[in-house]
Amino acid sequence: MLKIIIPTIMLIPLTWMSKPNMIWINTTTYGLLISLISLSYLNQPNDNTLNSSLMFFSDSLSAPLLALTTWLLPLMLMASQHHLSKEPLTRKKLYISMLILLQLFLIMTFTASELIFFYILFEATLIPTLIIITRWGNQTERLNAGLYFLFYTLMGSLPLLVALLYIHNFMGSLNFLMIQYWIQPLPNSWSNIFLWLACMMAFMVKMPLYGLHLWLPKAHVEAPIAGSMVLAAVLLKLGGYGMMRITTLLNPLTNFMAYPFMMLSLWGMIMTSSICLRQTDLKSLIAYSSVSHMALVIVAVLIQTPWSYMGATALMIAHGLTSSMLFCLANSNYERIHSRTMILARGLQTLLPLMAAWWLLASLTNLALPPTINLIGELFVVMSSFSWSNITIILMGINIIITALYSLYMLITTQRGKYSHHIKNIKPSFTRENALMTLHLLPLLLLSLNPKIILGPIY
Amino acid sequence: MNMFSSCMITALVILTLPIIMSSTKLYKNKLYPYYVKTATSYAFMISMIPTMMFIYSGQETIISNWHWMTIQTMKLSMSFKLDYFSMIFVPVALFVTWSIMEFSMWYMHSDPYINRFFKYLLLFLITMMVLVTANNMFQLFIGWEGVGIMSFLLIGWWYGRTDANTAALQAVLYNRIGDVGFIMTMAWFLLNLNTWDLQQIFITTNDNFNLPLLGLLLAATGKSAQFSLHPWLPSAMEGPTPVSALLHSSTMVVAGVFLLIRFHPLMEHNQTIQTLTLCLGAITTLFTAICALTQNDIKKIVAFSTSSQLGLMMVTIGINQPYLAFLHICTHAFFKAMLFMCSGSIIHSLNDEQDIRKMGGLFKVLPFTTTSLIIGSLALTGMPFLTGFYSKDLIIESANTSNTNAWALLITLVATSLTAAYSTRIMFFALLGQPRFSPMILINENNPLLINSIKRLLIGSVFAGYIISHSITPTTIPQMTMPHYLKMTALAVTILGFILALELNLTTQGLKFNYPSNYFKFSSLLGYYPTIMHRLTPKTSLTISQKSASMLLDSIWLENILPKSISYFQMKSSTLISNQKGLIKLYFLSFMLTMILSLLILNYHE
Repeated sequence: MLKIIIPTIMLIPLTWMSKPNMIWINTTTYGLLISLISLSYLNQPNDNTLNSSLMFFSDSLSAPLLALTTWLLPLMLMASQHHLSKEPLTRKKLYISMLILLQLFLIMTFTASELIFFYILFEATLIPTLIIITRWGNQTERLNAGLYFLFYTLMGSLPLLVALLYIHNFMGSLNFLMIQYWIQPLPNSWSNIFLWLACMMAFMVKMPLYGLHLWLPKAHVEAPIAGSMVLAAVLLKLGGYGMMRITTLLNPLTNFMAYPFMMLSLWGMIMTSSICLRQTDLKSLIAYSSVSHMALVIVAVLIQTPWSYMGATALMIAHGLTSSMLFCLANSNYERIHSRTMILARGLQTLLPLMAAWWLLASLTNLALPPTINLIGELFVVMSSFSWSNITIILMGINIIITALYSLYMLITTQRGKYSHHIKNIKPSFTRENALMTLHLLPLLLLSLNPKIILGPIY
Repeated sequence: MNMFSSCMITALVILTLPIIMSSTKLYKNKLYPYYVKTATSYAFMISMIPTMMFIYSGQETIISNWHWMTIQTMKLSMSFKLDYFSMIFVPVALFVTWSIMEFSMWYMHSDPYINRFFKYLLLFLITMMVLVTANNMFQLFIGWEGVGIMSFLLIGWWYGRTDANTAALQAVLYNRIGDVGFIMTMAWFLLNLNTWDLQQIFITTNDNFNLPLLGLLLAATGKSAQFSLHPWLPSAMEGPTPVSALLHSSTMVVAGVFLLIRFHPLMEHNQTIQTLTLCLGAITTLFTAICALTQNDIKKIVAFSTSSQLGLMMVTIGINQPYLAFLHICTHAFFKAMLFMCSGSIIHSLNDEQDIRKMGGLFKVLPFTTTSLIIGSLALTGMPFLTGFYSKDLIIESANTSNTNAWALLITLVATSLTAAYSTRIMFFALLGQPRFSPMILINENNPLLINSIKRLLIGSVFAGYIISHSITPTTIPQMTMPHYLKMTALAVTILGFILALELNLTTQGLKFNYPSNYFKFSSLLGYYPTIMHRLTPKTSLTISQKSASMLLDSIWLENILPKSISYFQMKSSTLISNQKGLIKLYFLSFMLTMILSLLILNYHE
């Protein structure tokens, strides 16, 4: 794993020593090279895991997320160039360093083999994200957003620390690879119920579960583009990843503890999708759509069948790329219109036809058009929830309909219709932006050719 | 070597060539529409070879080539089913598309993005081919969703118009409701039969197929615009006329019926679903025929007639005659596409005038279009020995002789008679009588692109029914013997409809226009369905999402319960506990008091 971690660390000196006009290009290319290394982990020859050392390992669940993380760094750098063009050089370098630091923590989180190590890194990712949101956000609301972000996730995850210490005490190890062999079924008692809650709430808040999701729209809306991208694409997936790792510890309590959370997710998925229908703010719409998609992942993880795990993993990757792309598109609008309000950006297809094509493709992947991996994820989740209880198909069906509606509503409002006069003299779309969208779409399309590499460990 | 599968694959691959071409310089070319049209015609001709072989030998094939993935015990691979239905439908669809593409070269010639339009049409055709030839449900679903999205793009072609965008969104919404049924069926099959392959589904026995078949019925209702999910089809007329001719008459909208035909092995023993299908189809065919009676927009009339014919196909499936329904799909494609093209020709010639009240007397200025329109309408009504007759007459006959729900059959008969009535109305208002359009328009229909494309379908509308029904024997045998009055019913009600409509039109033409009756309002306002469903439902659901989901839950309750209340209690308790209140005056006053006191005490201590 060091062959990814050390190059990532070396990105920081690269940033600070590069010539002023080379900082973006150097870091982006270098980041792309690192992401190529991480692709090799997608090839998982064994049934179990690839153990790199005592500290790090990767298996078919963490490898796709690892590849997603490393793939996203160059994309974030590409997306932020315009946003930072007016800043002084030191601040640019600091910003890039923050992104690199975040990537470093994320890589280590996804590959940590020890739960406490995982926990520490999980918390460490908060720091660069908080700095990015509160330092480079656009409005004063960003401070509030940072506060929400920090407190929600911290409050959720502190009980996890206690729970982990307790587990370590009675099991003697917190190594992922070992505890799956050592684990005893938890007896049903009040203290174990609280143990279950402590273990799961940290990740539920991170996902976020409906009801604990308030930090997400705020953070997304206020964060600069790179912050939104990494939040939607990777940080939310930390929750799903953690849940899938830790549920092995918590059997058989999950069987009945899951019910309230399943209900909350199924209900929340419809609520958040219908909020999307009434959003006027583009970024907030995309943020709420993330909540709704992540509710599907929570449902899938809690059902705990092979199909649902495959669906959850596929949906996490698919949603990571799709929502990140949507945020990039929203940002490219914002850089031209200087407003996130959708109605101000109508009729853009006339002026920016290629951008309209990206919008179309992004919306279609967001509404899970077959045969994209988004569909594979959603379909598997729907299948497993249908087998869990036939009635859930009604809620899932409503969600499918509303998802299609708001995705196309977003497309139609921003791209179709007559353009308004104040956008007559906007800049054309840059090659950088088009390349950015292509780099998002390519993995989505290529993965649909061979989805099994992102279907997780149970495939 | 067997040419069967290789020819079919060649035909399908030829269709993808112009799509690949679009990434080269040829796409910038003015000839791109021509390439697309030619590719389609080649694909048609090549696909005729396996179809001929199929007609001759009756061999069916399944091509299974690319293994996509295996999920536990489920194998998913790309596989094509070349059986009775796909072998007949593919050439028909290609033939109709070929003509429509040629027609669009004329209709869309002034559009700056005509190349993109052709690419969309071709993409639609490919997804339709995928749908028709799919051998497993996942591949079918790819085609199914693909045609839905292409219909969204093509209806919203003129994206500057609000109506077009609304209609496009409406089409997607109604189709998505159907998709939920499709997904449910997929989930059910996966759960109970552990397969999505059609032949494996059909050989498995299960007692109770009610739930998946209900899902399929819902899917078909959405895609084929059956009653309750029908309003998107007339709204879809906002798209360009070639799109209406291709998607909303001959190919995409029959996908739902096609799906039910594909799954008829499961359906033929299930009385409940058959009755449901029958009643749904009968209601649709009557309701939309009634709506068609009072429309004034020529495209809307044809659209409602399409919906009515789709209802008739559903009725046919309901009386357990899927092969007849399939025959009607094939014959219907010819004359309905032609009717749309004729109305397109009229609309284009009259400077985008769609109102039949502003037409009249077109038989003098547009003789060819008039001829085709009349033949198409006659074929639609099932006039003997035109294309429609061979399927429609058989359908009515087998409906008359079947012993199922008499009410459903009766209203189907009424709808058949109404078909003649609204066809008469188009002919009477648009073609006959005095011209009512602006005299300044230069009308010219002598364009080979227009004439040839309509002519090809015209020949199809006259002979295709004969050719298809005589080369293919329907596998479920319809009733052969019946009393002659039943045999004549279809014809009788049609002629009755013609005569009634003609007489009504003639007698009421000079009369003063009365205040419209309630029946008239019911018909012209489309049964109040859009008024209720398109106002009430969106308003309530959007209000709920705004007021309860967004404001009450998200902005008030969830905010207040956690963050706001915590910070409130923190503030309260901190102010309560701390004795530092920032009252500077008081503090200084107390300082002063102590100072004075201390001064007093210290000074006077003696």
